[in-house]
Amino acid sequence: MAGRPPFKTADLMKKLMAEYYAKGSEAREKGVPVVWVTAVFPVEIIYAAGLFPYYPENFGALAAARKVADKLSAHAEARGYFFDLCGYARCGLGDAYAQDHPVGKIERPDILFCCNTQCGSLPKWFQTAGRFYNAPFFLLDSPMIETTPTTLGREYFVEQLKEMIDFIEVRTGRPFDMDRLAEVMSLSAEACRLWNEILDTAALRPAPFGFFDACFHMAPIVTWRGTREAVSYYRALKKELEERAARKIYPVPGERYKIYWDHIPVWPKLRWFADYFAERGALVAASQYTHSWAWKFDTTRPLESLAENYTEAFVNRGFDQRVQMKINFINKYGMDGFVLFSNRSCKPNSFGLYDKRNVISQRTGLPGVVIEGDMSDLRFFYEDQVRARLDVFFDQLEKGGGTGNQ
Amino acid sequence: MSLPTTPVNGKVEQILARLERVLEDPAGYVRQVKSDRRVKVIGWLLTDVPEELIHAAGALPFGITGGREGFSWADAHLQTWACSLARSCLGLGLQGKLNFLDGLVIPHTCDTTRNLGGIWKHVRPLPMMENYLLPRQVDRPSAKAYLTGELGRLKAKLEQCTRSGITAGKLQESISLYNLNRSLMRRLFARHVRDPETLGNRAIYNIIKSSMCMPKEEHNRLLIDLEQALSEGPRNTVENRHVRVALSGKVWEPPEIMDILDRGGAVVVADDLATGHRYIDADVSETGDPLDALAQRQLNRMPCGCFESGRRDRRRFLVDMVRKSGSAGIVFIHLKYCEPENFDYPDMKSACDSAGIPSVRVETELGNVSLGQLETRLQAFLEMIGGGD
Ligand code: SF4
Ligand code: SF4
Repeated sequence: MAGRPPFKTADLMKKLMAEYYAKGSEAREKGVPVVWVTAVFPVEIIYAAGLFPYYPENFGALAAARKVADKLSAHAEARGYFFDLCGYARCGLGDAYAQDHPVGKIERPDILFCCNTQCGSLPKWFQTAGRFYNAPFFLLDSPMIETTPTTLGREYFVEQLKEMIDFIEVRTGRPFDMDRLAEVMSLSAEACRLWNEILDTAALRPAPFGFFDACFHMAPIVTWRGTREAVSYYRALKKELEERAARKIYPVPGERYKIYWDHIPVWPKLRWFADYFAERGALVAASQYTHSWAWKFDTTRPLESLAENYTEAFVNRGFDQRVQMKINFINKYGMDGFVLFSNRSCKPNSFGLYDKRNVISQRTGLPGVVIEGDMSDLRFFYEDQVRARLDVFFDQLEKGGGTGNQ
Repeated sequence: MSLPTTPVNGKVEQILARLERVLEDPAGYVRQVKSDRRVKVIGWLLTDVPEELIHAAGALPFGITGGREGFSWADAHLQTWACSLARSCLGLGLQGKLNFLDGLVIPHTCDTTRNLGGIWKHVRPLPMMENYLLPRQVDRPSAKAYLTGELGRLKAKLEQCTRSGITAGKLQESISLYNLNRSLMRRLFARHVRDPETLGNRAIYNIIKSSMCMPKEEHNRLLIDLEQALSEGPRNTVENRHVRVALSGKVWEPPEIMDILDRGGAVVVADDLATGHRYIDADVSETGDPLDALAQRQLNRMPCGCFESGRRDRRRFLVDMVRKSGSAGIVFIHLKYCEPENFDYPDMKSACDSAGIPSVRVETELGNVSLGQLETRLQAFLEMIGGGD
């Protein structure tokens, strides 16, 4: 990526994120509840209720990217949490116990909301944090969708959204405003639409944008989704990408291959991976992870629509559906191969990958590799081993000829 | 510490030996039952699967509680950092040892079980494979409505598989049969607590675990005979000087852990194990709509790391459990890589500390564990809480 002019929006992002944290402190001062939410959570309800949503996973990712996950984790491990747990959780719990805060202090929650569409680690982490901070914990339960979504599951989720709204009304002493919810949902959907258009530019050959860029630019779609700020940020980014494409500024000049990555990046090694792929003329073009925020809402039936979007996310789907979704990305972007990340921190996204690799290769005829590691903790990252696996993968790619499978 | 042992009578020994034999190779045993009785067998994984439904569909429920080998079979499909219970169950399936199953029900209790079904179905499909999608919050009204619906869904799938309708009457009968089994086991457990010499920890927990894989009709008969034989046997007059301990965790694996406790002069008086009191505690109501009753039992079960309940705090539950049972301490038996347990552990431990309850945590696995180390740790703990002698 050497020599590529930096994104102008990078400055905007810094400003926006600083503003986000400032808003958290401001909320605290004004007595607005600061609430914890999970990344795949109907935050639209939180914004509509006028609460401030805080994303502890983001904190975990930040700690990981700044390479201090093991330091924070040590504080949790000293309390009896083992290093087998999700790294984000260990960072979050560790920071709560720590005296020093290398990435700033994790926000104390007044209420914790958690949706388990993503995993079972988040509810356990939030439950534990709820005890630590002595704050109420509310679980939005999202049973797995094995094949097609069921009425039973959808109704269960809608019921819970109503329970959650009641719960918020009791806590805030204010009636919940459904009109405001529709407005927030529209803003959220608009930001998602822009974000996905941006992600789609990775299908261009060569592409002005790839997965590692997306990892950098995704913070606002997570934290600011549902606000005007997110919409204007992604408008600006989209415009900048058009300019960059016109000026032929590419993350991988002379792009030869497009690679699908599944799922989270190895945060402390983001640069290492970006360089490794770029050196081989390979653009990591997409991942289900960055595509998680692709909500399309129907504001005429807001709760049902929230339920559909937030329960039907890929990680909550059965084996076959998840394979098919990966193949869809591979086809849509014209990938030449795929890398599946067996992430020790993240069982829900890792268990099953060994077999999925074989199925995807069989069905697409493309080479694929599973690499072992951890998204945040370098104690589980063996660079030589990863490199050796990737080298073999690239040998296969070379034999296949490259330049797209279309 | 040497304790005098009372010789149990022949009949008792016979029954216990029979259960022990079943547990040596549960799959082999059930395969035999299947061929003798020409009955469909539906496997289930731990924990909380409503066996009554399977039974009412005319099939034999078979609880797969893992094995001691075959892990390498699983390695190509499931990472080694999955818990050994899941790896071992999948390993059994991959070795073909569960080929006789007509179906399998996997309860969703954690991210491991949530992913296991998909892998299993892909590599070793069985005629029926169902995920049992339990609600993970159990306090709010939505959970009840959903669970009743989910039980209805499971019921329909079972009916399809066995081609026989589950009527309310049949389900009631199954519920009564299971209630009887649970109450027999609870009675025997109470007897074990009063008189730890006669049965011993290994034997009483073998009784519970064997119940998971044997036809309940037969298990009930054996337990009734056992009670009878025990009451006819010589009365144990040796003073009960056992150290009372409670256990917490998923499974009492490796099974030798019970022998270690027996040798150490400890009597297990309470637990929250999936292969212990979670299985035998609390009956299903025999009045009212049976599906509703099954749901009700599930939502009111003792707390565990897999379900969220603000109403029933697990820390308080454990402290109460220890106090009510008069345990001198608690042993946390945790499977390596089991996230729900590990997330709960530090707070459970500090709740015990605050309540003045001594505790120890041992991390175990199915299959390869160093029994020597386990024994040393447990022995030291027992000496500490028992004052030694
Ligand atoms: S990384 Fe995986 S396990 Fe951790 S919070 Fe995210 S989805 Fe859950
Ligand atoms: S032992 Fe723990 S990790 Fe393993 S299946 Fe049970 S709950 Fe899940």
